[in-house]
Amino acid sequence: MKKAWKRAVAMTTAFILLVSGCSGKENDSRGKGETGAEAGEKREDVIVVMGPSSEPEAGFDPAYGWGAGEHVHEPLIQSTLTVTTPDLKIGYDLATDMEVSEDGLVWTVKLRDDAVFTDGERLTAEDVAFTYNTLKDTSSVNDFTMLDRAEARDDTTVVFYMARPYSIWPYTMAVTGIVPEHAYGPDYGEKPIGSGRYMLKQWDRGQQIILEANPDYYGESPKMKKVTILFMEEDGAFAAVRSGQADLAYTAAAYSDQTIPGYELLAFQTVDNRGFNLPAVEAGAHGGNDFTGDVNVRRAVNLGLNRQQMIDNVLNGYGSPAYSVCDKMPWYNEAAKVEWDPQAAKELLEEAGWKEGTGGIREKDGVPAAFTLMYPAGDSVRQALAADTANQLREIGIEVKTEGVGWDVAYDRAIREPLMWGWGAHTPMELYNIYHRAPGEEYAKYSPYGNDQVDRYMDEALACGDLEESYELWKKAQWDGDGGIIQQGDIPWVWLVNLDHLYWASKELKVAEQKLHPHGHGWSIVNNVDQWEWRRDGEN
Amino acid sequence: MRKDCRTEKQNRGKGCRNRRVFLLCLAALFLMLLAGITLAGIVEADAALTTDFSRKNLAPCLEYPFGTDWMGRDMFVRTLAGLSLSIRIGLLTAGISSVIALGLGITAALGKYADGVIGCMIDVVMGIPHMLLLVLISFAMGKGFWGVVTGISLTHWTSLARLLRAEALQLKESQYVKIAGKLGKGPFYIAWKHMTPHLLPQLLVGVVLMFPHAILHEAGITFLGFGLSPEQPAIGIILSESMSYLSMGRWWLALFPGLLLVLVVIMFHVIGNAAGSVLDPGQAHR
Repeated sequence: MKKAWKRAVAMTTAFILLVSGCSGKENDSRGKGETGAEAGEKREDVIVVMGPSSEPEAGFDPAYGWGAGEHVHEPLIQSTLTVTTPDLKIGYDLATDMEVSEDGLVWTVKLRDDAVFTDGERLTAEDVAFTYNTLKDTSSVNDFTMLDRAEARDDTTVVFYMARPYSIWPYTMAVTGIVPEHAYGPDYGEKPIGSGRYMLKQWDRGQQIILEANPDYYGESPKMKKVTILFMEEDGAFAAVRSGQADLAYTAAAYSDQTIPGYELLAFQTVDNRGFNLPAVEAGAHGGNDFTGDVNVRRAVNLGLNRQQMIDNVLNGYGSPAYSVCDKMPWYNEAAKVEWDPQAAKELLEEAGWKEGTGGIREKDGVPAAFTLMYPAGDSVRQALAADTANQLREIGIEVKTEGVGWDVAYDRAIREPLMWGWGAHTPMELYNIYHRAPGEEYAKYSPYGNDQVDRYMDEALACGDLEESYELWKKAQWDGDGGIIQQGDIPWVWLVNLDHLYWASKELKVAEQKLHPHGHGWSIVNNVDQWEWRRDGEN
Repeated sequence: MRKDCRTEKQNRGKGCRNRRVFLLCLAALFLMLLAGITLAGIVEADAALTTDFSRKNLAPCLEYPFGTDWMGRDMFVRTLAGLSLSIRIGLLTAGISSVIALGLGITAALGKYADGVIGCMIDVVMGIPHMLLLVLISFAMGKGFWGVVTGISLTHWTSLARLLRAEALQLKESQYVKIAGKLGKGPFYIAWKHMTPHLLPQLLVGVVLMFPHAILHEAGITFLGFGLSPEQPAIGIILSESMSYLSMGRWWLALFPGLLLVLVVIMFHVIGNAAGSVLDPGQAHR
């Protein structure tokens, strides 16, 4: 009897070894075979897996969110005037020189003269002016109201006449792909023609996009000649790399404790942050919340959160603490950083009159210290962050109830109750969108807050002629030593973590250095796919 | 010798009664179990929401027989609370559905015209797939608890209403109802005094048998994301969450809650059958 049992175990073990051995071998051989590359020759194609929401619904038209929009990335197929550098300052792509008038109302941009669209036509200033004038009218995702009109002065000079000063215009130029005037129409999204590093070869909706290197590209020619992008859910992506069908696939922190032979887990730092708003005024007709309207409550919440513990709990360690919407950006004010201090948080609450009540939850005049923290239903990371926030705030005597909501009601409810948001973009405009009063409104757009001094700094920053100088003003808007939006100031938003963007990547693949990824776990990874390489045998 | 004297008919009757007693005992046991689950779920409602990241992703063990999930929630407590919520929703919706069914069934017996309208209504609602109608109603009601309750209540009355209608039509032709009519009693008096008592057994069995449907549909609609909000410990939510963790090898998240859901449904089925064998005159005389 005992023997039979032992034999069964031995056979099972042998079977497992056999199966895992086989799959390991498959992975190894796949790296070189399949694409027809002979032994010793380097592969020049790569298969990347992204989430289904990364597929551009309206195609590759910059007017409908390609490159620009909620999730910014380099448009690859089109060229842009400028690019963001690894430290997120401004570099040049099509532009060779850029000048702004004293009053900030006229931008003159010189263009390179050797850029050619993939249909053979030269890219001129006319195309640039056409692109911007068209987008101003049609863009469904980007705000171009600051632009009055664009004009081509000659073949290689384009002039932007602004409706109001907008010092961070180069950041808009960095995500706006230039389209050809002669070949732009309603079906452009499906059949894009650009002057960028890649051309669209094939697009099977709902499945894959195949990009091929542009042989006439004016810059350094791409090392990866063919890029295939597949769209899959998280578990599908995981299965795809496990069976060796993809070279690089996005993944979530929940998968990070798994291992796949032949693949490694890459973690890239981001400004893809998560945080929640605290309506900063008392309840009224235009939103607000009586509990979070108390500035001491908001400060106590910010102090009472142990961000590192949250990262370990929720993200398996793959993240960094966030103290603002723009951590590590050139316009980030480091004064925003706070240390976890539950004792000080409790003292703040005591001082503000929130005394220890029954069951450890504080009270003031019979009102319990409590709020509802919403999170988008279906987002397990935000749900877990909300749950951990609730656990941690209970320690300092604040009761937090979490509730999953759909986006159809989330925006409206967020002006009265905190919501777990995700932000992070390569432009300081995000500070403006979140903290500056909405034009003509009493409060900021997403969560009620208004501070004249903060508004003034941001208006000055936009009007500023010099980009470097404007960074200082953006910093002052966050904290000028006296007032602002950080712990010592009004703290209308509390920031928790920057998620790391995680990918399974073949060990043979050399992924080029990434700049801080913005919000959106999608196209950012292939921003520089042209510089990726396959390792030669034995190379490290 | 005496044993042999017993006729075959008696023997069969005895076996049948034994079976019925057994069925009733089983039903009583299940009823207690279900009541226990419902109560435990209510008592543990808070514990089911508690997250504790220090114990996340644990496989089933003595302390956590159903394991824990990615937020360190105790899946055993969560499953109990989920089933309890399902049973309570089932109770409420089956109750509302049966009232609708009874009302319509009796109304159908009042006259030809009413019968035509109600027959048509039943056909229309039955003609649309349950799940589709459920999603539509729940979504229109703004999802959440009341969306689910309204949706299920408004979709599950049809088959029971059809049954009661047929029964009521039959009663309408019976002598005593006709005599009551001749004696000058109004149709409402007849419906209430003479028909309803006859329909009650059918109704009761119908309600119990509607339960499993209601529970499964509640789980289904919540699984699809048109039902309860995702922090609720509903069985559909537990199952839909567990889907994404299956590929990571966390089988316990789906297996135990799913099994328990099936068990609860089977228990209700047995109770319904037992109730039927006692209450339904047709079966009781067998």
